[in-house]
Amino acid sequence: MSFIGNLILATVRMAMPILFIALGELYSERAGMVNIGLEGLAAIGSLVGFLMCFITGSTWLGILCGALVAVLVNMIYAFATINLCADHTVYGMAMNIFAPALASFIYRVYFGKGSELSQITLMKGIGIPVLKDIPFIGALLFNQTPMVYIAILLVIVTVIFFSKTRAGLNYRAVGENPQAAATLGINVIRTKYIACVLCGALSGIGGAYLTTCYSNTYTEGNIAGRGFIALAAVIFGRWSGVGILIACLFFGFCDALQIRLQVMSIGVPYQFFQMIPYVATVLALTIIGGRKLGPKAAGKPYRKEQR
Amino acid sequence: MKKVMALLLAGVMALSVPAAASFADDGKEYKVAMICDSSINDGGWGAACYNAMVAAADENGWTYEVSDNIGQNEYYDSIAAYCALGYDMIYAPGNQYTDAVLQAAEEYPDIAFALLNGADTVPGEAVNGNVTSLLPNAQQIGWIAGALAGLMTKSGTIAFIGGMELDTTLGKYAGYGEAAAYVAKAEGREVKLLDPVYAGSFDASDKGIEFAKAMIDEGADVFFGDASAVDSGARQAIDEANKAAGEIKIYDIGQPADILGQNECVICSQVTDNSAMISVSMQAVEAGTFGGETIYGSLQNGGLSAGAMSDLVPEDVQAKYQEYLQQMIDETFMADAQ
Repeated sequence: MSFIGNLILATVRMAMPILFIALGELYSERAGMVNIGLEGLAAIGSLVGFLMCFITGSTWLGILCGALVAVLVNMIYAFATINLCADHTVYGMAMNIFAPALASFIYRVYFGKGSELSQITLMKGIGIPVLKDIPFIGALLFNQTPMVYIAILLVIVTVIFFSKTRAGLNYRAVGENPQAAATLGINVIRTKYIACVLCGALSGIGGAYLTTCYSNTYTEGNIAGRGFIALAAVIFGRWSGVGILIACLFFGFCDALQIRLQVMSIGVPYQFFQMIPYVATVLALTIIGGRKLGPKAAGKPYRKEQR
Repeated sequence: MKKVMALLLAGVMALSVPAAASFADDGKEYKVAMICDSSINDGGWGAACYNAMVAAADENGWTYEVSDNIGQNEYYDSIAAYCALGYDMIYAPGNQYTDAVLQAAEEYPDIAFALLNGADTVPGEAVNGNVTSLLPNAQQIGWIAGALAGLMTKSGTIAFIGGMELDTTLGKYAGYGEAAAYVAKAEGREVKLLDPVYAGSFDASDKGIEFAKAMIDEGADVFFGDASAVDSGARQAIDEANKAAGEIKIYDIGQPADILGQNECVICSQVTDNSAMISVSMQAVEAGTFGGETIYGSLQNGGLSAGAMSDLVPEDVQAKYQEYLQQMIDETFMADAQ
């Protein structure tokens, strides 16, 4: 395969975990919940996904359990911010501190202080009949793990849900003006909890993707800032499903490119290439994220009696 | 503030159960603590360094403890916490801990600090003379891997993956390249060593996967590294490439422990016997003579060696490789090239 083909493949691999997490944040923010604790949620999802896969041998069960545990952990954030009207940023950061520490604790309790490398069998790729045989793009787009297809499907569903369905419009209304939404009979509290469930589940899946579809080992810190990049992707993607997909592919491309440029041995100090994803993120947010386009009530506490 | 942090950490560490409780010959209970920024079950550097400490502690009747996966901003606090708990020796396996070790060594003059891969100038910089460098010969480490890479490469392109750009990493890279080129030239071939790549950390296994895939695309068919869990990721990618090809034709040389069998692609390992150097340090602590020196690990004193060979290495190649290893021990390797 050509340099470009391999670069695209690497881009897809590196973008997928960010895409799941960013879609989770989209569902959260559309209901007015600015959850910056994505890094922590992905971390616990990653550990639980690996652990369940290691124990049972099932990658699907690993992903499911990763999502469930991340939802449970995110309920702390949900209760504090929805019921207690606590500050979203403070509790999001608390999640980023608490959840990775919990993951480390569980890992150490289960595996002890052994030095043996634990490895699992990753989810296998599935080629879509006929489509996978299309020259060039067939191998790139239609010979991936099922999770990649699910991610793309999720983007399509998200776009349709938010722009073409009554339920989606009601959901968005909660993030724009919850008081007005409540007067229309929309259950704001329930919608916000649903948002937290979706955010936790998708962030957990994003983390579990890393340890069930990407790397067959678990290392602490393997999320490596993807939760924060996902936050940037939501802004860069202008709170739309397609925009987020493009943003995630862009960030994945930058990371894949810096790795390939390092390998190409063109005599430039490697630190320059390592800067590329971060510089691109800053530039993208500066250019695209300048104007506030997000939900108007994002991050604001909802009190029923408040006018 | 740092002292407060250290005391808090010490409190947490005191709650953890020591891994073993035994006594040295003189009846005193000696304790060693290891800090590590990678995981002790990374299948590479962290695991080997931890096992070396455990082996040395068992041999000398010491109690041991470890804190792994610590961040760069926690190096000093973790060390100081163990010092506050009365540990006799701090074992810091990596050049990157030098500053933290020197700072703690100044503040805790009665505690011994063993710095693996520390430069030979570091003990002289410790104002209390309580630091010893344990220094495996980086060039020889590179030679051990490079000679085999030079013999085994079919494509003529070999690769090296680093975690961070440390002096010891650069030394290993240089030795790897020069040995591979020398051996290949003797075989009538040429070898190209790709520029070193760095993941920027020792735990980004995903970066190891991507580096290895990209280097395989560049034609590399023998890999060596100095990057802990990043190397584990690289080996995963190599195994996947071999599986896709239907045969094992891309190889990896492990380090610093013998990891033959961990992955299909591993054909041999460069083995560093850190336990021998740690054991010497422990005995020096017990004798009250610790500090101010550099303990070298080399092929000559048994500190470095090559591990078991895979069946993937043909017998005639194994024989040639053993000859080259003997030349390295006899200090005649590359003598005609220097």
